[in-house]
Amino acid sequence: MATKNKTLRRNLIALSLIAPFTLTFLLVFAWPTYKVIQLSFTDAPLIGAGEWVGLDNYRDLLGDRLFWIALKNNGYFLLLTIIPTTAIALAIALAVNRLKGWVQALILAVFFLPYILPVSVVTLIWAWMLDFQFGILQPVIEFFVGERVAVFRDPYWVMPMIAVVTIWWTNGFNVLLFLAGLRNIPQELYEAAALDGATPRQKFLRVTWPLLWPVTALVLTLQLILQLKLFDQVYLLSQGGPFNTSQVLLLLVYREAFQQNDGGYASAVALVLFVIIMVVSILQFQLLRIRGKR
Amino acid sequence: MTTGVSLKNVRKSFGSVDVIHDVSIDIPKGDFAVFVGPSGCGKSTLLRMIAGLEDTSGGRIEIDGKDVTEEEPADRGVAMVFQNYALYPHLTVFDNMAFSLRLAGAKKDVIREKVAEAARILQLTDHLAKRPANLSGGQRQRVAIGRAIVRQPSVFLFDEPLSNLDAELRVQMRLELARLHRELGATMIYVTHDQVEAMTLANDIFVLRDGWVQQAGTPLTLYDDPDNRFVGGFIGSPAMNFFEAEVTGGGDGVMQARTRIGQHTFTARHTGAAPEGRTVTLGIRPEHIALAEDGLRAKVDMVEQLGGVSYLHVKLEDGSNVVVERHGLREALEGHTVGLTAEPDDILVFDPEGRRLR
Ligand SMILES: Nc1ncnc2c1ncn2[C@@H]1O[C@H](COP(=O)(O)OP(=O)(O)O)[C@@H](O)[C@H]1O
Ligand SMILES: [Mg+2]
Repeated sequence: MATKNKTLRRNLIALSLIAPFTLTFLLVFAWPTYKVIQLSFTDAPLIGAGEWVGLDNYRDLLGDRLFWIALKNNGYFLLLTIIPTTAIALAIALAVNRLKGWVQALILAVFFLPYILPVSVVTLIWAWMLDFQFGILQPVIEFFVGERVAVFRDPYWVMPMIAVVTIWWTNGFNVLLFLAGLRNIPQELYEAAALDGATPRQKFLRVTWPLLWPVTALVLTLQLILQLKLFDQVYLLSQGGPFNTSQVLLLLVYREAFQQNDGGYASAVALVLFVIIMVVSILQFQLLRIRGKR
Repeated sequence: MTTGVSLKNVRKSFGSVDVIHDVSIDIPKGDFAVFVGPSGCGKSTLLRMIAGLEDTSGGRIEIDGKDVTEEEPADRGVAMVFQNYALYPHLTVFDNMAFSLRLAGAKKDVIREKVAEAARILQLTDHLAKRPANLSGGQRQRVAIGRAIVRQPSVFLFDEPLSNLDAELRVQMRLELARLHRELGATMIYVTHDQVEAMTLANDIFVLRDGWVQQAGTPLTLYDDPDNRFVGGFIGSPAMNFFEAEVTGGGDGVMQARTRIGQHTFTARHTGAAPEGRTVTLGIRPEHIALAEDGLRAKVDMVEQLGGVSYLHVKLEDGSNVVVERHGLREALEGHTVGLTAEPDDILVFDPEGRRLR
């Protein structure tokens, strides 16, 4: 009897402890998600109820040329960002890790600074720097390609340049993750490797890289999720143009919902993106983990 | 006698702090040498300099007669066993031991053969496929040693390799290290702050303090004939007892000295000059103190009774502690007043600076 009471009390305490989170989660995540799923099977406008249309929205979506363009652009953007940003962050972290004391703190702060800027400031900075007439980077572009380029109005330049801006903006955080990972590798392992006859290259390939792999897997996965959610930079820099060459899924959702007032269809697109992100990130993380375990 | 490792006027400073001052020692080939000293005295630094993991600020390091002061760690023919093992956590026991051979580009069957041999010596054959995380502390330590063995170095360096093991395992590993030394015949340099490890393992002990070598010699030389008060107090457990005293007379190879506390006159073996009134310190080991009616007055405070051996903790007038070792003690002595005496040959005399007076 006494133990039963005790168990009950413990369970009540446990429940009361997780209640705030559970309620918040249900209210701001589970409920809206459920509504979006529901909405995607109707022809509802942005505000107000609509008629049940079954799978019509999804059928439309498969025939929507813009959807496929956006999907392809999202994929292109992943290619442009994920591996480069990971490689750059790792290189910077390796370099910063060799510095000591306040110099290290200073350099780290310099690399981290862009991350704390709001996206509007970031895009403004780059819009200035790349301005066709006055941008200080135009001479650089001119040097390499022989002429000035209005990069955000050029079908070939627009996605790579948005990728550059994005990497510049978000890279500091990845550097931080890699740096934490590097600091977790005991110095003694490098000393043991030095005694075992490892060159700096071999130390990196046989000690640093494998021991850093969990962090690398984390960075890759976080990047995958983050970059699939691309919206702000495109919206502010190119609005999906020119000729839809920077059209991406979230921009499509925004257009359908807020400009075309087609809440049902927008929900269907959003849901597809949600599923893509979930499946791809879980798949990638599992694959990377398995590779690390081998 | 060929020299295995030779240090000539070796110095080391970190910034403006001198950590090793002018150390010159010779370690014969095949020797088991132990650097012993309190924490922070520079033992690890000295060992790491021999390994090439720290630059030398001055002097020369020779291994097997070759100057290696400027050589890379891998080119010195040394292998090191770290205190925290420093095993590669992502590699199996086999791969940990094969690491250096692979880097050197050894053939597959050579690697397999050498690792198997090391695993046999260290009884690791059944664990070759495991990761370090799945091994016990003692097994990890053996893997670390195995990694050193496969390289067939001419010098093994150990930095407090047993300090992370429990007491029982430590005794067992000590015996294994001694056996390993016999089997391999390589020069071994072993760093520890534990004088028991030093006494039991070493052919030669080097006692370090604040970056200076205080004394070098066989374990029994250091025990019986310390050059200074520090070595006398550091080697031996329980530690040597010290009494402040004043010289009151002498001649014929002995001298008399009266203790400051208790006013008891001891007679010590001493051939040099001993001016009356001079302050000295008398050092007497616990096993050399006898109980007698007319000795230095002391009160038994506590007895550590181990059965065969007992340690009497007795207090002098001023409350200072002295340890006396007895064999086969069966009386209950707590609270009794006793007298402490010792034979002249068993009393060591030190000057106020701690130097031995002979
Ligand atoms: N990398 C370093 N930088 C500055 N001081 C150091 C460094 N390594 C060791 N020391 C100092 O050198 C002294 C000896 O250290 P160490 O050789 O590790 O002592 P031990 O191994 O005998 O305990 C200590 O006072 C320590 O603080
Ligand atoms: Mg040390």
